[in-house]
Amino acid sequence: MVLAEGQPTDDNDRQTQLLRGVLDMCLLALLSREPAHGYELVRRMESAGFNTISYGTIYPLLTRMRRLGLVADEQQISPTGPPRKVYALTEAGRARLDAWQNQWTRFAGTVDAILVPTDHSPSRS
Amino acid sequence: METIDSVLSEADRAWRAYGISSTDRRVLAADLRLDLAAAAADGGDPVQLVGGDVAGFARRLADEAGVRRVRPEYRRLLLTALAGALLGSLLGAGIFRALYPVLVNMIDIPRSIDVPVQVAVVVYYGVPAAVVVAGAVTAVRLRLRDLPQIRRTALMMSLLLPAAGIVVTPITMAYAWSTNYSTAPEVLVVETVMVLVALAGATVLARRLSLRERRQATGAPPDVAIEPA
Repeated sequence: MVLAEGQPTDDNDRQTQLLRGVLDMCLLALLSREPAHGYELVRRMESAGFNTISYGTIYPLLTRMRRLGLVADEQQISPTGPPRKVYALTEAGRARLDAWQNQWTRFAGTVDAILVPTDHSPSRS
Repeated sequence: METIDSVLSEADRAWRAYGISSTDRRVLAADLRLDLAAAAADGGDPVQLVGGDVAGFARRLADEAGVRRVRPEYRRLLLTALAGALLGSLLGAGIFRALYPVLVNMIDIPRSIDVPVQVAVVVYYGVPAAVVVAGAVTAVRLRLRDLPQIRRTALMMSLLLPAAGIVVTPITMAYAWSTNYSTAPEVLVVETVMVLVALAGATVLARRLSLRERRQATGAPPDVAIEPA
């Protein structure tokens, strides 16, 4: 999913469209491993390979997920700087993540089944 | 910290223009400040983080936070109130002209009764003022039905407009007295402007107060906007 430099804009748009449907799920998955603040999530997404996601996208989305009760935030004292607003998954968020993960697995399986050609698939010579 | 302040100032302007209440703006800004400060402590540049389009970011954030947008629509309100006031005064003048002979015939005050001049002044100025206020409030109530809290705005106008009139009248009279009751055009213009400013101020204040109500989070969130880095 990582874009190489110099690829056409169409590819960027396509990746954007693909990400649109899964970004919230990815954030919930990252938070299920360890609570994090907004900027940390951007870095985790970058580490995972999604370096096209900006803070300007993630922070509003976190705000929405907090409003929906999927994540909760709390202030943590930091020894090196200002207090951090750290987001963590709630019970509702965990349940939603499980449901989305199942849905994604089914969906990806279906798409894979269409994309990967079977041995006996007809082909033109 | 300066960059965080500049981002927050720009965001606040965008929220204000977007119709976000001051209470919600404070909450959004406090949350964002905390997050940006944490990011800055980790080496992130707040301006770069939010991106070039701070206003767009701020609007998106407000949408995602589910805060209710209420646009004050001051311009529409003032124009409607002015139109209503003019219409009301024309209508009032017409009715008065029609009824005056009837009233004179019906009510014959004996010469033995001495009507205080204050009563005469109140009736002489108060009745037209009441008609103007009624016209403005009615026009706002009927023509701006689509605006939120307009009923409350009209109610506040019906209280504040007379109050503004009571305050501005002696001030205007004092000005007139200071000019020896001149009828020069520039003096009349100043007097008119004084009254209009007071009434417009009362109308804007009525709107502001009516929008101070507690706002509930409503509305479905829009799609997530993903910007290519």
